[in-house]
Amino acid sequence: MDFLPDVFNISQAVGQWLLVLLVGLVSILFITFVSALIGGGVKGASRYGDSLVESLSDLVSVSSTRCYALAKLTFTEAIRRKALFVFVIFAILFMFAGWFISDSNQRPKEAVKVHVTFILNSLSWLTMIVMLLLSCIGIPEDIRLRSIHTVVTKPARRFEIVLSRMLGYIGVGTLLLGVMSVTSLIWIYRQVPEAARSELTARQPIWGDISFLDRVGTLTNAGINVGDIWDFRSYIEGATKGRAIWRFENVTPEMLTTVTSESGEKKEALRLESRFEAFRSHKGNMNRGLNFQYIILNPDNKLEVPAATLQVAEFIGRTDGIPRKLAGVTAEDSGKIYDLFDDLVAKDGSLTVAVACTDPGQYLGMAKPDLFIRLPDAPFALSFFKAMLGIWLFMVLTVALGVTASTFVKGPFAIMVTFTFIMVGNTAREFMDKLLSNKWTGGGLFESAYRILTYMNDTTELPNNPGTQLIKWVDWMLNGFLWLVQQILPNFSYFNMAGYVANGFDVDNMRSLVPAIVVTIGYLIPCVLIGYYCLRSRELEAK
Amino acid sequence: MSTDVATSTAAFGSSTQFSAGEPVISIRNLSKDYRDFWGRPKVKALKSLTMEVRKGEVFGLLGPNGSGKTTTMKLLLGLLFPTEGEISILGRPATDVSKNERIGYLPEESYLYRFLNAEETLDFYGRLFRLPANVRKQRTEELLELVKVSHARKRQLKEYSKGMTRRIGLAQALINDPELILLDEPTSGLDPLGNRDMKDLIIKLKEQGKTIVMCSHLLADVQDVCDRIAILYGGELKVMGRVDELVKEQDATQIRSSKLSDAAAAEVREVLRKHGATDVQIDQPTSSLEDLFLRTVQESKERPGRRISV
Ligand SMILES: Nc1ncnc2c1ncn2[C@@H]1O[C@H](COP(=O)(O)OP(=O)(O)OP(=O)(O)O)[C@@H](O)[C@H]1O
Ligand SMILES: [Mg+2]
Repeated sequence: MDFLPDVFNISQAVGQWLLVLLVGLVSILFITFVSALIGGGVKGASRYGDSLVESLSDLVSVSSTRCYALAKLTFTEAIRRKALFVFVIFAILFMFAGWFISDSNQRPKEAVKVHVTFILNSLSWLTMIVMLLLSCIGIPEDIRLRSIHTVVTKPARRFEIVLSRMLGYIGVGTLLLGVMSVTSLIWIYRQVPEAARSELTARQPIWGDISFLDRVGTLTNAGINVGDIWDFRSYIEGATKGRAIWRFENVTPEMLTTVTSESGEKKEALRLESRFEAFRSHKGNMNRGLNFQYIILNPDNKLEVPAATLQVAEFIGRTDGIPRKLAGVTAEDSGKIYDLFDDLVAKDGSLTVAVACTDPGQYLGMAKPDLFIRLPDAPFALSFFKAMLGIWLFMVLTVALGVTASTFVKGPFAIMVTFTFIMVGNTAREFMDKLLSNKWTGGGLFESAYRILTYMNDTTELPNNPGTQLIKWVDWMLNGFLWLVQQILPNFSYFNMAGYVANGFDVDNMRSLVPAIVVTIGYLIPCVLIGYYCLRSRELEAK
Repeated sequence: MSTDVATSTAAFGSSTQFSAGEPVISIRNLSKDYRDFWGRPKVKALKSLTMEVRKGEVFGLLGPNGSGKTTTMKLLLGLLFPTEGEISILGRPATDVSKNERIGYLPEESYLYRFLNAEETLDFYGRLFRLPANVRKQRTEELLELVKVSHARKRQLKEYSKGMTRRIGLAQALINDPELILLDEPTSGLDPLGNRDMKDLIIKLKEQGKTIVMCSHLLADVQDVCDRIAILYGGELKVMGRVDELVKEQDATQIRSSKLSDAAAAEVREVLRKHGATDVQIDQPTSSLEDLFLRTVQESKERPGRRISV
């Protein structure tokens, strides 16, 4: 796998979320109170108190009966407005897609990748767009046609209206996704070439932490940079003391898998899957891949047992079983048999696997996700439906944002606002993070422009005068704004789980699924509140 | 809250001393400016309106187009927020949603969900009142009978004619068996039969002890069913009082009979003249509320800004 997000720290995220919510709430309350006081004096303040009490009572008197009725109304409306035409688009997409994306020359892994990525991405965007249109139009239309007048003059709370709109659209989205996911799973099974079916699986990886030894054997954070632009992998030199070392926590005999060896016999082994990259500094032997060696280390007693010498299978990767019983090879312990769990797993339960390259003068490139313990696989459908859950959560978030936007602006504007929000969050996030990381020299927008116009080098100090001071100050303000945007935008990358599924991995719960759920809930709550506040504080007249 | 209403009623206890019922609606110095996008006042739709409606009466809001009747109703329901002034409705402020449990509202035009059919519509509104399923079913049945659209109950409202939609609108206003019913032009779009039914219904509801506030242009209807009326002109209250007293002319006597022949009319005129009557007119009666209405509008135009004495 080419990516591996960090494990999500829930308690930290929730803490920060609470803080933001609290600060937002307090500042809104303060601003509205002050404006009520200025606008209406003491009377205004007391009226403000009344409306605060009313809002609170609205929040606590939510009735499931009314919410059900309103949600059902929303659902019926969407269905009877023929939202399900999407199915037709979807079907057309499917009929023709097969022609373009199937290619008999593809490697099996690639075939699976292409099909799965295509399906999941098109599903995700299609649903997003349909739900965006639906959810942004609902309330403004209700106001324009004034049908909302007959609802708000019943005991329906405006809070319930916002909430049920969201629930109703989520219902529609669920129906859409439910049908489409089953259809597409069947389509994938049928469409993926026979030979590639085995790649339709859900690997259950145990990830380790990586560190490196340089060519003389001292511990470093990263290996050698061979000049690759993409500095994802770092390299060790062959036939030196250079090594990449993975440490896996809590390794137990339950992790053994039954593997079938080349000779056809079945035995228990710890499966290691690797996908290393070779960098050749000279031609060497072109008929085989570079050789590498697995070495199992026990840091407690400095025991080192070489497990196997293998050839790198570039771009494809390989899965190998490390047998439970390993023979010693050095002068002192030759003939001795070590048990993987009794002798090699350290007292703290961790297993250390080192990788060395044995071809002199060649380099082996590795990154943290390039080696993992592969437990018995789960069915492909599991990871597929987890990814569908990710798309579902994305849909929920879209609906929440759309409905919220539609409570304060008209339909077309609501669509624009929400769409921009989602697009910026999806595409510009990385760039924004980079801009804000202060790693770049040359300053912000205006400073860079100034440097370009005056042919000034990145690293030269700006002359100190009021003009440059102003430029710096404006840049600082812009950066502040950018920071705010970065804080407010959801991290949409959690929702896209296609990478796992396409690479034949199970979706990682702690790295993707849980964060996606937490992020969705985290946005849902303030969205409902903001939507309620906006709907409540406006007259429901078409303007 | 309730003491508040009582004192305020005493404070501005208007010239009306007729109905003994307690006030269901009281409005004090209510003003409404419609504002444009930038918050600048665009239309002064209502100017310092003070009035009250008492329990059990049928109250008519009259006025030419654009005089602020609908605006008043929307303010009462919390659909609009007042620029100034106070509203108490069923003892609660207008923005309090819980008061809606006891209110039925028929909007000016039937703003219903056009993709639902009649049955679904009533069921939906019934649910908003959290009526249990059996009650909802029973009320739906009764109301569909009452407003005479049960033959079209399964058709979506977008296929309905204007009058039929109006009838469903009325049915939804009554789904919760409300104490206070606000009807914005209840007879608009109805055929003569429907018109008649509507009047009968209002009288029946009044007999059940409900309070009704209605706007209408059809003065004959108003005269038939309303106890008290208020006439608005340009957002200002011009006339308010009991219908029978407002239209009674103090210095005239009206004699009505079945249509007389010309000879008979001459004879009657002779008799009246003998008794010293001047200005004898014998013709077919006109709606006297219509006179009042037209006179009010005329006078308001000529002398703006004044309350008109009848
Ligand atoms: N949403 C609105 N925005 C701006 N002005 C409005 C709005 N609604 C009503 N008005 C104005 O307020 C005034 C009163 O309107 P209102 O609807 O209350 O009249 P009405 O008495 O109900 O008239 P009708 O007999 O035609 O129903 C009118 O001048 C109207 O133009
Ligand atoms: Mg009107």
